[in-house]
Order: sequence, then C-alpha cells, then structure tokens
Amino acid sequence: MTLVWQQIVEGLAAGSIYAALALALVLIHRATRVVNFAQGEMATFSVYLCSQMLIWGLPLYLALLITAVISFILGAAVFRLTIRPVLDAPPETIVVVCIGLFIGFQAICLWIWGSDSAQFPRLFSSTIWTVGGVRISANNVGILVTLSALAIVLALVFRFTRIGLAMRAAAAERAKSPYVGIEVETMLTFGWGVAAVFGFIAAALAAPSLFLSPTMMMSVIIYALAAATLGGWDSPLGAIVGGLAVGVAETVGTTLIKSIGAELRLAIPFLLIGLVLFVRPQGLFGRADKARV
Amino acid sequence: MTGNKNAMAMLGVAAFAALALAPLLLPGYLVFQASLGLTYAIAILGLNLLMGFNGQISLAQGVFFALGGYIVAILMTDYGVPIYLAIAVAVAATTLLGALIGVPALRLQGLQLAIITLVLAALVPSLIMRFDSITKGTSGIAIAKPEPPKWLPMEQDTWLYLICLAGAGLCVVIMLRLVGGDTGRRLRAVRDNATIAESFGVHVAATRIAAFATSAAFGGFAGGLYAMVNAFVSPDSFQLFKSFEFLAGAIIGGITSITGAFIGAVIVIFLPEWSADINLALTGVIYGAALVVMMLVAREGVVGLVTKGLSRLSDKLTNAEKHGSKSNEDSRRAFVASVEKK
Repeated sequence: MTLVWQQIVEGLAAGSIYAALALALVLIHRATRVVNFAQGEMATFSVYLCSQMLIWGLPLYLALLITAVISFILGAAVFRLTIRPVLDAPPETIVVVCIGLFIGFQAICLWIWGSDSAQFPRLFSSTIWTVGGVRISANNVGILVTLSALAIVLALVFRFTRIGLAMRAAAAERAKSPYVGIEVETMLTFGWGVAAVFGFIAAALAAPSLFLSPTMMMSVIIYALAAATLGGWDSPLGAIVGGLAVGVAETVGTTLIKSIGAELRLAIPFLLIGLVLFVRPQGLFGRADKARV
Repeated sequence: MTGNKNAMAMLGVAAFAALALAPLLLPGYLVFQASLGLTYAIAILGLNLLMGFNGQISLAQGVFFALGGYIVAILMTDYGVPIYLAIAVAVAATTLLGALIGVPALRLQGLQLAIITLVLAALVPSLIMRFDSITKGTSGIAIAKPEPPKWLPMEQDTWLYLICLAGAGLCVVIMLRLVGGDTGRRLRAVRDNATIAESFGVHVAATRIAAFATSAAFGGFAGGLYAMVNAFVSPDSFQLFKSFEFLAGAIIGGITSITGAFIGAVIVIFLPEWSADINLALTGVIYGAALVVMMLVAREGVVGLVTKGLSRLSDKLTNAEKHGSKSNEDSRRAFVASVEKK
C-alpha cells in the first residue's frame, strides 16, 4: 500500500507539470479554437534561453523572470505572425501550421544547443520528508504549490479583473466583442502570451528531472494533450484535474499493470484520449458542442 | 477537353518511361535513393487522398508505413513467406487497420482526429520496443533483397527500383481513378460539406471509412516496399518524425496534387542530405518554416504555386496579345481618321 501512495505522490508531481502545460493548451483553445501542438517545443526553447542566461552568470530567479517575459513576447509573436493570418481557415490548415512550429522550434533548439542533454537546476531544495513510509520531496511539493498558485492567479484574473473579463468575452464572442469596445486581437494575443509563459513554467519544472534536450517536451505534450482532453478543452479546472489524473494514472498504471511495462507508458495517454473521445468527447468539465445546421 | 486528357495521359506515360530508364544514367546510390523516394511518394499519395481530397486530418501515416514494413520483415524472416506475397499481406492488413481506425474517426472532429492520430504516431516506436520478441527491438530485422529474374541482366538495386516504380505507377493509376469522376466528387463533397453531401445521397460514413482504409493501404504498401529496398527495419526508421515528414512532403508538394506527392517525396529524400552539409537541424528548420509559410501564402503547395504562376503568365500573354491587337486597332482607326480628314 505504501508503494501505491508513493506512486500517487510521484504521479501528482509529474501530473502538475502536465497540468501546467495542459492549462496553456486550454487557454489557447478557449481563446482561438486552436490546439497548439507546438506548445511544448516553444517551452523547451524558452528553457534553453533561461539555461543560456544561467551560463552567462545570471542568478536563477532573475533568469527565470526574464525568460518568462521573453516567453510572453514569443507566444504573442507566434500568434500574430503565424496563427492570426489563418485563424478563419479550416482546422487542418491550423494543425499544419502548429506541426510546422513544432518541427521548427525543435530544430532551432537542436541547431543552437545541440542534441546532448544538459543539466537544469532544481528550483526547489532537495530535502525529502518521510510521512508514514512515503517519501515526499520538497521538489514535488514545490511543483504542486507552483501549479496551485498559477491556477489561483489565473482564476482570479479571469474572474475579477477587467482584462480577464475582456479575454473571456473575446474568446466567447469574437465577432461581437468589438461592439462593446474590446480589442479582440489584443486579447487573443495576450492569451497566447500567457499560455507561452505557462508552457515555460511547465518546462522549467520538468527540466531538472527530464534533463534539457531538444526533444524533452515531446512526451510531456502527449500527456498534456491527454490531460486537456480528459478535463475538457474549454475548462482550466479540467486541465488541472486532468493533468493530475493523467500523472497518477501513468505512475500507478506502469507500476501496477506489469504487462504495460515501462516501454508502453505512452499507451496510457493514448488509451485515455480514445476512451474520453468516445465516452464523453467534451471531457469531464467541458460543455458539449451543439451542432447547428 | 478529351484532347487535353489524352495529352495528360501521354505526358504521364512519357514521364513513367523516362523514370523507368533513369537507372541507366544514375549512379548506384542515387538509384537506391530514388527507390526510397518512390516508396515515400506512395505513402504521401495516401495522405493526399485522405487529407487533401477527403478532408480528414491524419498525423499517423507513419503508423501504417511502420506496420507494412514490419509485416513484410517478419513474414519474410520468421515464416519464409516470399516477398511479393508478404507485401500483399501487408497491404491487406493495413487496409483492415485503416478501416478499423476509420470507423471511430467518423465520430471525431478535425482537431480531435489530429490529436489522437498524433498520439498514435508517437506510440509506434514504443509498441515496436514493447513487442521486441517479434520485432527484435532496437536491433531491428535484416531482410534479404529479392534477386532480379535470371533472364534480366541488371543490378539488384535497379530491379528493386523498377518494382517500386511499378508500384508507384499502379498507385497513381488508382489515385486517378479515385479522384476523377464520381468517386472523386463524392470524396470532395464529403470534405467540403458533409451535411449537404449526405442530402445529395452520398454515403458519408462509407466514403470516409473507404478513404481511410485506402490511404492506410497506400501507407502499408509503401512501408512494405521500403522494407524491401532498405533491406532492414528498426524503430529508428519509424519515429514520430516519419509521420511529420510525410505530412511535410504532402503539404509542400501540394496536398491535392498527384504530381505534388512525387515532388514532396523528392524533397523528403534529398533535403536531409543537402542540409546535412550545413547543419543536421537545417532540415527541421526548413520543414517547419515551409509548413508555416505554405499555409500562409500557398495552401496548394509547390504544384499550386506553379499552376498559378503558369496561368498568370498565360493571362499576361493573352492580355498582351489583346493589348497589342487593340493598339493596332487604335492606330488603324487613327490612320483612317487622318486619311478621312484629308
């Protein structure tokens, strides 16, 4: 039983990272109906930038802060330059653009920083507490706390600020919002920027354990896609619950079901996505689309 | 119109003949590359059929490619099945799998289909590793290349090239049959507006499943030929990036063009070689940039650009002609007027 608890704790930590990335995906999907397959690769690029600043001798937290700002600009620029022009095109066009960004960002990282994996410092101390036989590391707690903080800030901004309201309005009624003075484009750009920051945070949390490499986020984005699908593509709360659930399902699943084995970890998000799409396509917290003829 | 069609057919046959004679001129390694290119072209044709003509997103063409390759490799090495029969089995199996995936795909919208096919494509190498008792895991499976018939005095690679060329020719003919005429109209109607297509009596579900199955069959056929040409399969050949390469080839060449599939395949084969001199990552940068830029400015790919360019050029020529005749007319009138004044 201790083993299961241990796996759950590990799963929650991994799940927080998936949740942070899924949150980025959901933010973008809510605003622009785009599934940004490149979110993970953009995040990897950001973390490389941060690591470069560390090499140049900047203190960790300053580097993180600067990179967060750069990530915001990067996300906004990507939206403006590549997504905005095709926003009204059929979904396959946008999917192709996102896959292009995916390949492109990964290749840029490979070009600049090479394929060898690099160290990235832990953001939290390496203390480990033992509670009833279960080992809980400060790092895992830190990751969970970061995610919760992100989620709460996001919820408060959306709920109580004018800009949050404007962003919700722009996402819900892109055509009508301009009539009440909302600059829709600015709001959507803002959304992409915020999402890029969330992606960066997810990648910065993942980098110490996954090691920094151009393909670092490839498996994480798969789990994040599963998390967003499970939670519902329109629900930030769903992304968080989905992310944590996927993380726990991954660690507990691979430990308990021996036939899955370590090689088939990726089968868990695949099966999960398949199951959700056929049983409840809108996800746990999503609203079902109503088709109009 | 029929004249035009005949001319196109003649052109196609001439291109085929030229390609068949190409090994006489090309150095050995290029013949090998060209054979691989033909297998990629077949896989891309399948993707064109599904995405371009039927409007279903699939990021998983590499899945069928991998399955085809492994079926051929396993049947040949473990069961001693002759290669051509093994390829036929691969095509049958991938058709079946394609149909099986096509059925649930009916319920999914574009983005959902993109997500699940992407995850499926990412899963392929893990599946190969998990079932290493049959797939031999990372060590891969080596296959004996088929010998050319005794009465044909030619290199083995030339023979393989000709087999691939015949396969690609067959696929082109099938594609032409499918996208022309009523079948093509049905495919495109389902793509453009499924509801209206249904009301006109098109069986939307059957069309979509058939498109998925056929596209998968192309992928499996291509994978089988690839295993034969390459004489080796391993998880390295079937990473997620393979599916992306097919997508890039299809989009850059032109997603609704048969010629485009071949242009795309040439790019997918040679781009990595050309760019490796500068930097290994350059391929990815070019693919990425090309996919984004193509979607922004040229959704019909290289073939679309060329066609547009040609038609603009011919417009200009005809305009110039008109313009020229008009100014002649003007000067004639001016001349007549000046004569009449006198």
